[in-house]
Parts: sequence; C-alpha cells; structure tokens
Amino acid sequence: MSQQHLNRDTKRFLWIGILPSALLYGLFVIWPAINALMYSFTRWDGLSTPAWIGLDNFTNLFKSGSDFATAIGHNIYLTVVPGGIILTLALFFAWMIHLKVAGSTLFRVTFFFPNVIASVAVALLWVLLYSTTEMGPINNIRQALHLEKIPFLESARLLQSIVPMMVWSATGFYLVLFLAAMENIPADYYEAAHLDGASPTLQFIRITLPLMWDVLTTGIIFLIVGGLKFFDAVWVMENGRPSPATHTMSSLMYAKVFEEYNVGYGTAIAVLLFLLVLVVTRISMRLLKRERLEY
Amino acid sequence: MDRRTFLTQASGCAASASLLAAGCHFEPITSDNTKTIEVAVFEGGFGIEWHKDMARRYEALHPGVKVNLWGDPRVDEKIKPRVLRRNPPDLASCTLPVWKLITAGRLYPMDDALSSPAYGADGKTWKETLRAGVLADYVYEDKTYALPSNLGVWACWYSKKLFREHGWDAPSTWGEMTALCEKMLAAGIAPLAFQGKYPQYAWSTILSCYQRLVPFEKWYDIEDFKKGAFQDPAFVKAADLMRELAVKYFQKGALAMTHTESQMEWANGRAGMVFCGLWLKKEMEKALPDDFEMGCFPVPMVTGGLGDPKAIYSGGGESFFIFKDGKHPEIAADFLKFLLSIEPARDYVKRNDSLTPVIDCQVGVTISSALQSAVDAIEGSTRMYSDRLSTLYIEWHRTLVQQAQADLLRGAITGQQFGDRLEAGAEAVRNNPNIYKPPARGVPAL
Repeated sequence: MSQQHLNRDTKRFLWIGILPSALLYGLFVIWPAINALMYSFTRWDGLSTPAWIGLDNFTNLFKSGSDFATAIGHNIYLTVVPGGIILTLALFFAWMIHLKVAGSTLFRVTFFFPNVIASVAVALLWVLLYSTTEMGPINNIRQALHLEKIPFLESARLLQSIVPMMVWSATGFYLVLFLAAMENIPADYYEAAHLDGASPTLQFIRITLPLMWDVLTTGIIFLIVGGLKFFDAVWVMENGRPSPATHTMSSLMYAKVFEEYNVGYGTAIAVLLFLLVLVVTRISMRLLKRERLEY
Repeated sequence: MDRRTFLTQASGCAASASLLAAGCHFEPITSDNTKTIEVAVFEGGFGIEWHKDMARRYEALHPGVKVNLWGDPRVDEKIKPRVLRRNPPDLASCTLPVWKLITAGRLYPMDDALSSPAYGADGKTWKETLRAGVLADYVYEDKTYALPSNLGVWACWYSKKLFREHGWDAPSTWGEMTALCEKMLAAGIAPLAFQGKYPQYAWSTILSCYQRLVPFEKWYDIEDFKKGAFQDPAFVKAADLMRELAVKYFQKGALAMTHTESQMEWANGRAGMVFCGLWLKKEMEKALPDDFEMGCFPVPMVTGGLGDPKAIYSGGGESFFIFKDGKHPEIAADFLKFLLSIEPARDYVKRNDSLTPVIDCQVGVTISSALQSAVDAIEGSTRMYSDRLSTLYIEWHRTLVQQAQADLLRGAITGQQFGDRLEAGAEAVRNNPNIYKPPARGVPAL
C-alpha cells in the first residue's frame, strides 16, 4: 500500500501506535546519546560542573602510548584472529554437513550447543578450564605429561587465551547461518555441475560461495561489530579489573566512566566506538558488495 | 466506545505503563516517623554478618531508625553509578575515586560526630577512642571524610605446623628469607603463593622492602610524590628484590591465580608462605584444616638497609564514607560511631579474628594465635606506616602501576625500568593541574 493510499484515520492510528515506542526510544536512546556526545567535549568527573574542552578528549585518545590506542589494538586482534578462524571453521563444517557426511545431524547440534550458553557463563567455564590450580583440567593434563603449567589467565597472555574460547562459543552460530544459506541453494545447480565434472571444491567456490555471499557478508559484519564491542569475557576473566594489557575499547570506556569518574574521556571513547562501528561496517559492506545472484 | 477512541486510550495506557515501569520508583509509605538509612558494605574476607548484627543492635538502641544494610563482593560496581546519579546509599565501605568525591564536595565530613561523645566510653569523644593516625589519610581542608573499619597489618603468613615439621624458622632478614625459600624448593613445596590476578598485592611488599632500605624521611618522599622519588636507587633495589622473589620463588602459575585460588594453595600446603593482610584467616576460614596454626612475620629486614627494622606496614582498611547526597547523613555518621565503639569493636575482634581502629579493642578478648602473632608484630613495632597513593592517584595506580607490577613480577622488566615507568607516570600526574595533590606531609608525628 503506497503512502498516498493511506487515509487520515489509518495514518492517525499508525502514529498513535508508533508514539509510545518512539517516546521510549527518544527518552532512553536518543537523548542519552545526544548527552554523551556533548559530554565527550568536556572535562567532567560526573560530580562537578562540566568544563568545555573542545576536542581535547579526542586528541588525547590518539596520543602516542595512550591507553585507547592499546585498547583499539586489542579489539583489532580480537576481531581479526578469532573472526578469521570462526569464519573458516564455520564454512568448512557447514559445507561438510551440507554434503551429509556421516553424523552430520549430531555435529549440527553439537557445534551449535555452546551458542546457547550465556557469554558470561562461557567465560567462567573457560576460567575453570584454564586454571593453574588443581581445578584446571588443561594444566592437570600438562602436569601429568611432565610439562610446565601455562598461566593462560595471566593478563599478559589473556587475549591469546580468549581466542579458543571465542572460536568454541561462536563457530556454531555461524555454522547454522551458513548451513541455512547453503541448503537454500537448489540442488539442480550442483547436479548440473557434477555432470559437467566439477569437483566438490570447485562446486563450493563457483556455486556455493557466490550464492550465499549475502549471508557471508552478514556473518562478517556480525564478527566485526562483535570484535569492536568486545567486553564481557575480558571483564569476567580479569575479575572486573582489566589491566592495560587486556583492556578493550568497551572495558576501557566502562572503567573510565564508572571506575575513575573520568566521564568526559569515557564518553569520548563511547562516541568514537559508535563512529568506528558505523564506519567499519559501512566500509566492509561496500568492499564485500557483489552483484546479487537470484535463484 | 468506537474503535478510534479505544485505540487512542489503549496506546495512552501502554505508554504510561511503560514509562512507569521503566523510570519510576515508589517509596514505601510508612505510618510512623521511622527513618531508614541505607548502608552498603564490601563483602570481602570479613563478610557482613557482624555489620548486620550491629545494625540490629543499633535499631534496638534507636527505635526510630531502621538500618537497611547489604553487602556484595562487588559493591563498588553497584555504588559507583549510583553516586553519579546522585542516589548513593547513606553510608558505604567500598573502593571509590574518593578524592574526586571529596574535592567535589560530595562526601559528608565526620568531624561533628568525631568530636561528640563516644558510645560506651564515658567522658571521651569518639575521636579520643580511636588509634592515632587512622584519620590522617582522608583529611581535606582540616575535615575528615573517611574512617577505616578495621586495622590491617601486612605480613607474610605461614603454617607453624609445617615450619615445625621441617625445622624452619621465620626469617628476620631478606637473606634468611631467600635461604628459606631454597629449603622449601628442596622439600618440594612452592615457597610463595601469590594473588597474581591482582598484581597490586605486591605493592605493600615493595613499599615495605623500600622502608627497610631507607630512613622514613626518604620513604615519605614517595608518599609526597616528590620528583625523582621512584628512581631512588633504594626503590629500584626494593623492586629488584620483589622481582627476584617472584621469578624464583612464586608458585608456578601464580600469576594466573585469583586471591582465593592462591590462598587456597597456601592453605592446602602446596605453597609455604603468602603475603597478605590480616583478613587472610577469616577469608580462608572454611578452607583451613582444623589443626592449621597460622603464624606471621613482617617483611624481613634487608641486610645493610638504613630503615627502621621494627616499623610495620599497617593501617586502616575497608574505609567507610558518608555521602552528602544520602538521605540521612547525620544518622549515618551516628551509626558509624556506634560501629566503631568499644563493645561492637570487641565483638568484631572476637568474631573476625582481626583488629579495629578502636583503642584496646582486643583487651579482654580471647584471640587466636594467628591474631596474637599480628598483635605482637604491632606491639613490637616502633612505627606503623601505610600508603595512600593508591587512593590519591587512582588512575596512575590502577593502570600504570598495576601494569608495571605485572611486568616486574613476570620478569619482563627490571627494577630500574619499573622505577622509570612509575616516575614517568608520576611526572604526568604532577603536571596535570586537574588532579588534586595534597600538601606534602613528611614523616607524620608518632
């Protein structure tokens, strides 16, 4: 139904329906966001009167050796390394299940299972797995093999330790996403390719990937946004006290605002994080854009 | 009712209900004039059972007052946003950016309460019943803004039974300490447990080492943030001693352990010693075997050091703050006065096996051998001293010092690099006009 066909009563009804949500959204999202933007240009401890300092907070964020520069490096690491592994593994396993390898139904459930566990619970589970006390199974096995214990949870190596956890917990979600896309592709294409002598690998590259490109792009965007916003596992595994060796942008923002009452600087991080997610997502979408194939 | 009217009214009701559910807060309406104060307590090693019982006793003494007391190990995370929202509890013991609150005028001064008559001490003001020096750390423009609820001692804890079985003695010099660590290694016991997830546990030991090396006139240069203080060769040596202890004698994997995990390793005898505060016994109470005899010794004297060998790193802990934005700050101050009066203090000693800042709180109370060894260390000391940098310069301490300590303990940097990093950070603080720096206080009078 086009807009000119809506009569006055229907329009009024729609506005009345939208109004409560719009009011709530404005009150709890738009208004705080505008406030945050204003605070980012101030030096403010949340207690006294804010002092306007222009772009100082933003220039301080990019000063050499700043805590933000280190944190953004950690976010890039947590986006690229686990993201790359997750994407590869999810595609591989989805393809295997799509090819109906033996036990594929069991694999589908098994791989997806970690995804239903809350992220905080996942982090706590891995804290236990990684423990250097007698509670930690990984180090117990190492000890049984007369190998030195590895302090996985030490701040200096925590980010590397988070990678397997992220891969374990997220691969299943992307697997299901990709598998659904693969199963939507008509079998005729594969049959025709098979008759023409195309190998399964060639079929994957020439048929599967192009026809599921939109879903793959969505998966990549999810991984980028998740990596840039990363917070919970670092917070839990550092017991609420991340150090400069482990801070991500989100944990640094939280620490600055709520731990140190450096509200102006903290909100500048929040504003930048928002812009970064927006810009990186936009750029990724443009770079990954391909001609849409209909089938 | 036609469809249009119905939809209009329904939408209005939905919006109102959503707004009420999201934003409004209903105060319970009481028919009497009872005043309720909210008290938030850090639920650490000492728990909050004592606080709760004292709240009930206070209510019995003051029928018009109700104390809504709650605790949480992460009370800080709950309180900090509330302080920003101008909706703090009346009284809280937690880690806060205290000096920002003090200089912004958000805390309530305790001086009126301190100069009023104390509970249970005829003729004495509350201030006169407290140990000298415990009020000094949070004084701003001659007003007092915090009061510790316990008295801590930084010491190295060990099992007397384990030491007896192996014929080991508590060391009194640093050389004896490292020799003891070697003996423990030879006996197949990791010498030192360490709370590695919190590298700041090393800070008190480093400062104690430094105290053993220099006279107090020099030691307080650090507390007064004097230029070059962290590059003093003796401070660098203290850091190097800590580094050696960590690299050679910390239990394997200690840097990945939380405080409870590492202390459990010590309690279970897999590590011989652990540096900790007086809260250790209460914190590990349920994990310690029945026949566990705790003993402690202060940080050993460094041979050739110029510092006072009998001084002890000790001071107030778990400080309480009263918020100006609270509903009843005067009642909160009075409740705190009651908490830190002689009878509740003796009860605290009895239950928590620890000390409070109230003078003679342990007199007449049967105390454990663990607490007795701490009391002996205090009574045998010539001076009690402690650090206030971690609360004064919170950003410097939480980021730069924490990271530098983590790097020092894993042997990634030397004592000199440690000192250089701290000094560079301190210089940035000195040059930042937006960070409050108190006047230099030098060596406090005894």
